[in-house]
Amino acid sequence: MKKNLRFIIALWISKAAMLLQKLLGMNASYFPGKIAIKLCPDFLGRIDKPETVITVTGTNGKTTCCNMLLDVLGENGFDVLNNKAGSNVDAGIASSLISDASLFGRVKKKIAVFEVDERSSLKIYAYVHPDYAVCTNLFRDSIGRNAHTEFISSIIEKALPDDTFMILNADDPISSQLKPDNKRKYFSLARLDSDGTECRNIINDVRCCPKCGGKIEYEFVRYHHIGKMHCTECDFKSPEPDFCAVPDWDKGTFTVQTADGVEEYPLMSASKFNTYNQITVVALLRTFGLSAEAIAASFAHMSIVKSRYTKLEKNGIEVITNMTKGQNPVACSIVFDYIREEEGTKEVVVMLDDKTYRETTEIVTWVFDADFEFLNDESISRVVACGVRVHDYHLRLLLAGIPEEKLRCVENEQDAPSQLILDGTDKVFILHDLTTPDETKRVRDGVLAEIEKRGASK
Amino acid sequence: MKIEVLFPEAANLFGDCWNYRYLKECMPEAELIETSFGDTPAFADGDVSLIYMGAMPESAQERAIKKLMPYRERIVELVENGTVFLMTANAGEVFCKYIENEDGTRVEALGLFNLYAKRDMMHRHNSTVLGKLDNHFMDMDIVGFKAEFSQLHGLDTDVEALAQLSYGTGRNSETKVEGVKINNFFSTSIVGPFLLMNPLFVKYLMELIGVENPKLKHEEIIMAAYEKRLKDIKKMAGK
Repeated sequence: MKKNLRFIIALWISKAAMLLQKLLGMNASYFPGKIAIKLCPDFLGRIDKPETVITVTGTNGKTTCCNMLLDVLGENGFDVLNNKAGSNVDAGIASSLISDASLFGRVKKKIAVFEVDERSSLKIYAYVHPDYAVCTNLFRDSIGRNAHTEFISSIIEKALPDDTFMILNADDPISSQLKPDNKRKYFSLARLDSDGTECRNIINDVRCCPKCGGKIEYEFVRYHHIGKMHCTECDFKSPEPDFCAVPDWDKGTFTVQTADGVEEYPLMSASKFNTYNQITVVALLRTFGLSAEAIAASFAHMSIVKSRYTKLEKNGIEVITNMTKGQNPVACSIVFDYIREEEGTKEVVVMLDDKTYRETTEIVTWVFDADFEFLNDESISRVVACGVRVHDYHLRLLLAGIPEEKLRCVENEQDAPSQLILDGTDKVFILHDLTTPDETKRVRDGVLAEIEKRGASK
Repeated sequence: MKIEVLFPEAANLFGDCWNYRYLKECMPEAELIETSFGDTPAFADGDVSLIYMGAMPESAQERAIKKLMPYRERIVELVENGTVFLMTANAGEVFCKYIENEDGTRVEALGLFNLYAKRDMMHRHNSTVLGKLDNHFMDMDIVGFKAEFSQLHGLDTDVEALAQLSYGTGRNSETKVEGVKINNFFSTSIVGPFLLMNPLFVKYLMELIGVENPKLKHEEIIMAAYEKRLKDIKKMAGK
C-alpha cells in the first residue's frame, strides 16, 4: 500500500504522542499505535516493514519465546524491532513500527520479531506479512475473547498468508494442522517418563478426531491434548517432528537430532514447559539460518523473566512468586502440576484474581476448567486462597478433594502470610495474576517477614 | 437414578462439566451415563432422571443435531412426560427450530420450540446476568455469565422463559427474557458451571428427580459464593 497524506499525518501525530509519553516517563507501547490506526485505519499496511518479519503466536509461551528470540538474535548481531515493551495487538505492533520509522514512514531495522495475540490475527496479518510464523500451541483461553480452540485456529488459518513459513508444534494436534499447504517445520519434545496414556486433565480438546470425529488413541499424553496420537478411523495423526528435543534433566541439557548430527543445548530450567519454549526457538532460528553453537551459547546465560518468576530465600525456606495467568485454565494447570512435581514440602498461596475485574465480578468459569486437583498432593501441606472470589476458590479446592484442614481462605491477600505453616516447609509458592505485581510483592515480603517473626526454618 | 450426559467429549467447554459432576457429588448414589457421539443414547430405550448437555463448538452443535434427530420423537415424549433436561450455553440451540449462519444458510435443528438461533462468529456477546426464575414455578435469583456467538430469536414469543432478567442479555441483546422452559426441560445460555453458581436451582432439580430433603455438597461454602456473587452483581447492576 502506498503512503498518502492521511498516513503521514497519522504518523507525525503518533510520533509526537510517543515523544510526549517519553518526556512524561510513560510507557509508549500502545497509545501511539492506537492513535495512528484511529486516524488512518490501514496505517499498518502503509508503514514500511523490515525485510524479515517473524511472528510468534499461540496460547502459552509466546512471550517467553519472543524474549528468547530477541536475546539470541541480539547477541548474534541482529538489531531487531519488536513489540516487547507492551501490547501484542495491532496497536502495539503499530507503535513498534512507528518507533523505528523515519518521518516519512521508512523503516530502519532489517528484522522484526512480533508477538501476536491470536485473536488479533485478522487485524494484523491483513497488513503485516510474516516470513516466518511460529505457533507455540493452541488451548482454551479467555472465553470472552477466544471462545474455543476451533474458533481461534480458524481465525489464524484465515488470516495467515499462504506463503508464510510455519514453525509448528508436532505434539499439538490443533495448532499443527494450521495452514496445511504452507512450507513448515515441526518441533517436538520426546516422550518423557512423566507422560501417560490417559489424559489427567479436566480439559482435553482433542477427545475425538478433528478430521472425521472418530475415536482418538494417544500413544502418549503429556498434558491436555498435547501428546502423540492417531485416529482409529481415518489417516489423521501427529506429524513427525523435524526438531525433537530429548532432555537430560540431570545433565541440564537437551539434544536435537538433525541431518547434520546431534546438537546439544543447555536447559534454562528442568521443566518440560520451558523445554518446549526452547525447542520452539531452536526450530525457528535453525530454520532461519543461525548455528546451533550460537543458539546454545545464548541459552547458556539466559534466565526466565523476573516479573513472571522470582525466588528468594529466608532461613532455608524458598519463597517463590510465579505468574499464573488467571482466565487461562491451561496455564494455571501447568503451574499446579509443576508445583506438585517440585521436591520438598510445599505451601501455596492462590491469589489469581484479575485486578481488572475488581470493581465488577470476574467470570470464574475458568476456575472450573483448571486442574486444582494437582494441588491435592501429600507434599503440599497448605493452600491459602485469597481475593474477592475467595468463596469460589474455596469451593473449587474442596471439589478438588483437598482436605478442609489444609485450606485457609482470606479475602484480603495481605492476610495470606499469617495463614501459612512455614516451619518445616521447603517452598512457599505465591501464584499471582499478571495484573497484580504490587500486591504480589507485598504478599511475598509479608511471607519473608512472617518467617523472620516466627523464627521458622525449613 | 440415572443422569445422562450427552456428548461430553465435545460438549464440555467453559467448565460446564461441573454441572453434572456437582450433581453427582450431591447424589453419590446416582448413576452417571456419559454418552459419546458413537453411542446409542440411554434415553432412547430406557428411562433416565435427568439429561444434560453443555457448551460446545459450533461443529459439535451440528453433529449433536445429526445424532439426536433420529430420536426426536422420543425426546418430545420425554419432555411431555416430565423428564428433566438441563441445557447450558449453546446446547439449547440444538433443540430450537434452526440455526442461521451469517451467510443466511440454515442448519435445521430438532424443532422442540419455535425459536431460532442466529450465529455471528465475529461478534462475541459477553454479559453478566442477574434475574429471577420465572415466577410461574419458583421465586429464585439467578446469576451467571454469558459468552456467545449465537443468540435466540423469536418466531413465537409465547415460548415459556426460564427466567426474566433485570440485568444482562437475555435470549438476545434486545430482550430480558432468558432461556426456555417446557415442562421440566430447562435451557439457558448462561455458560460454565451454571449449577455451581446457582445452588438453589440444584436443590430444585434434585427435588424434581425425586430426592427428598436435598442436601448440597459443601452447602455452606457454595451458598456463601452464591450470596457474594449475587451481592456483587446487584451492586454492579445498581440494584
